Amino acid sequence: MTRAAFSYEFPHRHLISVADLNPVDISLIFERAEHWRAVNKTTRRSSDALQGMTVLNLFFEASTRTQGSFEMAAKRLGADVVNFAIAQSSAKKGESLSDTARNLAAMQPDILVVRHGATGAPSFLADRTDLSVVNAGDGMHQHPTQGLLDVFTMNRHWGSVGGRRVLIVGDILHSRVARSNIGLLSMLGADIRVCAPPTLLPADIDQWGVEVFTDLDEAISDCDAVMALRQQKERMAGGFVPSGREFFHLFGLSHERIARAKPDVLVMHPGPMNRGTEIHSQLADDPKHSVIMEQVENGVAVRMAILELIGTNLRKEDAA
Amino acid sequence: MSASFAITNARLIDPASDHDAPGGVLVEDGLIAQVGDDIDLTGADEVIDAGGKVLAPALIDLRCAKEAALTPDGETLPSLAASAAAGGFGSIVLAPNASAPLDKADGFAGMSRGFAHYPVRIYSAAGATRALAGTEMSELGLMARGGAVYAGHGDHTISDSKTLRRVMSYASQFDLWLALRPADPALSQGTVATESDWSSRFGLPAEPTISERIAIDRDASIAALTGGKLMIDRVSTREGLSAIRQARKRDLEIAATCAIAHMTLNEVDAGALDSAFRIDPPLRLEDDRRALVEAVADGEIDAIVSDHRPTPFDDKGEPFALAIAGTLSLETLLGALLGLVHEGELTLLQALRPLTCGPADLLGLPQGRLRAGAPADLVLIDGDKPWVCDPAEFRSPRGNSAWSRRRFSGQVTQTFVDGRRIHNYNA
Repeated sequence: MTRAAFSYEFPHRHLISVADLNPVDISLIFERAEHWRAVNKTTRRSSDALQGMTVLNLFFEASTRTQGSFEMAAKRLGADVVNFAIAQSSAKKGESLSDTARNLAAMQPDILVVRHGATGAPSFLADRTDLSVVNAGDGMHQHPTQGLLDVFTMNRHWGSVGGRRVLIVGDILHSRVARSNIGLLSMLGADIRVCAPPTLLPADIDQWGVEVFTDLDEAISDCDAVMALRQQKERMAGGFVPSGREFFHLFGLSHERIARAKPDVLVMHPGPMNRGTEIHSQLADDPKHSVIMEQVENGVAVRMAILELIGTNLRKEDAA
Repeated sequence: MSASFAITNARLIDPASDHDAPGGVLVEDGLIAQVGDDIDLTGADEVIDAGGKVLAPALIDLRCAKEAALTPDGETLPSLAASAAAGGFGSIVLAPNASAPLDKADGFAGMSRGFAHYPVRIYSAAGATRALAGTEMSELGLMARGGAVYAGHGDHTISDSKTLRRVMSYASQFDLWLALRPADPALSQGTVATESDWSSRFGLPAEPTISERIAIDRDASIAALTGGKLMIDRVSTREGLSAIRQARKRDLEIAATCAIAHMTLNEVDAGALDSAFRIDPPLRLEDDRRALVEAVADGEIDAIVSDHRPTPFDDKGEPFALAIAGTLSLETLLGALLGLVHEGELTLLQALRPLTCGPADLLGLPQGRLRAGAPADLVLIDGDKPWVCDPAEFRSPRGNSAWSRRRFSGQVTQTFVDGRRIHNYNA
C-alpha cells in the first residue's frame, strides 16, 4: 500500500520508544529509509530536507557509531549538527538534567538526539522542553533506531518479518537493543526466541511473548535470523558469567552453531563486536551469512528517514 | 485560648479504647478532664461545637525529616512544625538519615530542649552507628539521656551481622527500639524499583521483594539472640509481612511500621517514570499494597509513618532512576489515609490506631488517647470535605509530592497540643 491509499501521515514529533509506533508508522519509516538508502549509494547524497534546522547530538554516554551515524544522517539531510558530549562520570554533576535541558532548549535547536545512562531521560527531556527528542539509547530501556534498522535489514532480505523465527542471544538483561527489537518484532508478528544464561535474563521475561532458552543449540534450530548482543567485558568476569571463554563455548555464535538454523540464516550484531566472546571472527566476516555491515549502512538511512519525518512535522507546526 | 474549654457534638474516635461514638471532651489546663457524651460544661470558658466532625487524638509520626540548617529554601524546623500541625500531627519524630545522621551526643540534649519552642511536640531519634556507616556504635546511652526516643539507621540497614548483634544488644540496656529498614543490602543496593514486569520492561535496576523477607528473618533472629527490641522500619511487601508474622510466633519484641506511600500508591503510579514517585523503599505491586492495608486493619502494623522527606526541585530535576528518593507527606497523609476509609478498606478506628496510641505505646508517651488525665493533644477532622492537593499551598518550602493534584475527601480543621490550638483551617 502506498501512503496515499490510506492518507495517513507520520504523526510523531519524538521517537522515545518503539512502543510509540504502530505498524503503519514503521512502514512509513521503512519506505523513506529505502529511498535514502538508494540516494546514499550515489555521489549526490545531500538533500535540503532539514535545511535551516539544527540537530543537537546530546550524548551522556560515549558512542562512536551511533553518534556518527546520526551526525551523518542529519548532515546529509542538510541540517546543522552540533555535538555535545557530557561526561556523566560523577553521579552528582554541577547541573541537574532539567537545567541542562532548559539551557540547551534556549539555544533553539530543533531536534535533540539523546543518549543517557538512565531509563526515561529522553522522555524527561521531551516533557521539559518543546524540542523534538530522538532516543539514541536510554539505560537498559530502549534504543529504538537500532531496533528499526535491525528490522529494516531483515525486511530487505525477506520482504517481511511476519512469521519469521528470530533468535536474540546474549545479555538480554542489560540490553536496550534487545528490548527495542522484541517490541518491534512482536508487533510485526515475528516468532521471537531469546537465549541467555539465567543470570542475563530479565525478571518476568516469560511474560514478554518470547520463547526463552538457555541451550543455544535448541534455541537456534530453524531460525531465520540470529542476533548476537554485545557482551560487556566486566560482566564476563565472574559476576554474571564465569568467563568470556565459557560464555563463548556455551552462547557464542560460530559456523558450527548455526548449522542447525535455516541454511540462509542471517547473522546480525548491533556492534561493537567482541570477536571470540559472542561471535566467532570467521562468522562475523562471512558475507554468506553476516549482515553486520549492512546493518551499519542501513542505520544511516533509517536515521535519515526518522529525522526527515520528524522534521517534516516540525515544519508543519511552524507553518501553522 | 481559654484555660478551660470543651468540644461538643463530635464523633469521638479513640483507638486506645476502641471507642467510636458521639460525644465531646472537656479540657482543663492542657489536660483532658472529661470525655464522653455527658460532659459537664459548667466550668468551660469556651465551648466549640464540632458540628459532627471527627474528634481524635492528635496524630503521632515516628519518621520525618527536615533539611540541614541553612539549606537555601530548605525545610526548617518551623516549616516542618507548621506542616505537621496542618496535617493534624501533635507529635513528630525526626529520624536519622544520611544528611542528618543524628549520631552525636554533643548537643543532643540541647537540641531536644530547643524543640520546646515549637507548637508541635518534636522528638528526635538517634543514629545507631557513627555516620550511619554501620561499623562503629554511636553514643546511644548519652543520646537516650538527651531525649532520643529510639535508635534508627536511615535508609540502609547495618549490613554486618556482628555489628548489628552488638548494637542491638547494647541498645537493649536503655530499652530503646532499634529501627532498621528491612532490605538485604546486596540485593537492594543501587536499585530504584521493585522487580516486576513493569520495571524489567523499563530496564530499571530493581530489587526482588524477598530482599525484605531476608532482612526481617535476619534481624528477628538477631533480636532473639540479643533480647533487643526490633522495629521494622517501613515494611512494604507481602513477603515482609509474612516474615513478621513468622517472627512474632516467637517471644520477641518486634514492632512494625509502614509508610503512607506504600499503603496508598503502587508501582503503576510511577508508570510514566515521574520522578515524584521515586521513593525508598520503592513503590510495590498492587498485591503488596493490599496486603499492607489488610495488615493495618488486622492491627499488625504498630505505626503508620509519613516518611516526610523534603528534597529540592533540583534533585527531583533528574530522570526517575537518578532522582533523589522521597516525598513530602505530612500535609497529605490524613487525606490519603481517609481515602482508604472512604473506599471501605479500613474503618476510622483501624486507620487512626497506628497514628495515635500505636506509636505512643511504642515510645511510652502519654498522648495519643482520649482519656481523662491525658494531654489534650487533639485533632478535629472534617471527614468529607473535598480538596485537591496543591504543593504550592504546602507550609513546606519544598514541593516534591507524590500526591500532587490528587483529590482527597477529608481535611484537618483544627489541631491542639496541650490544649493549645496550633492549627485552625478556618482562621
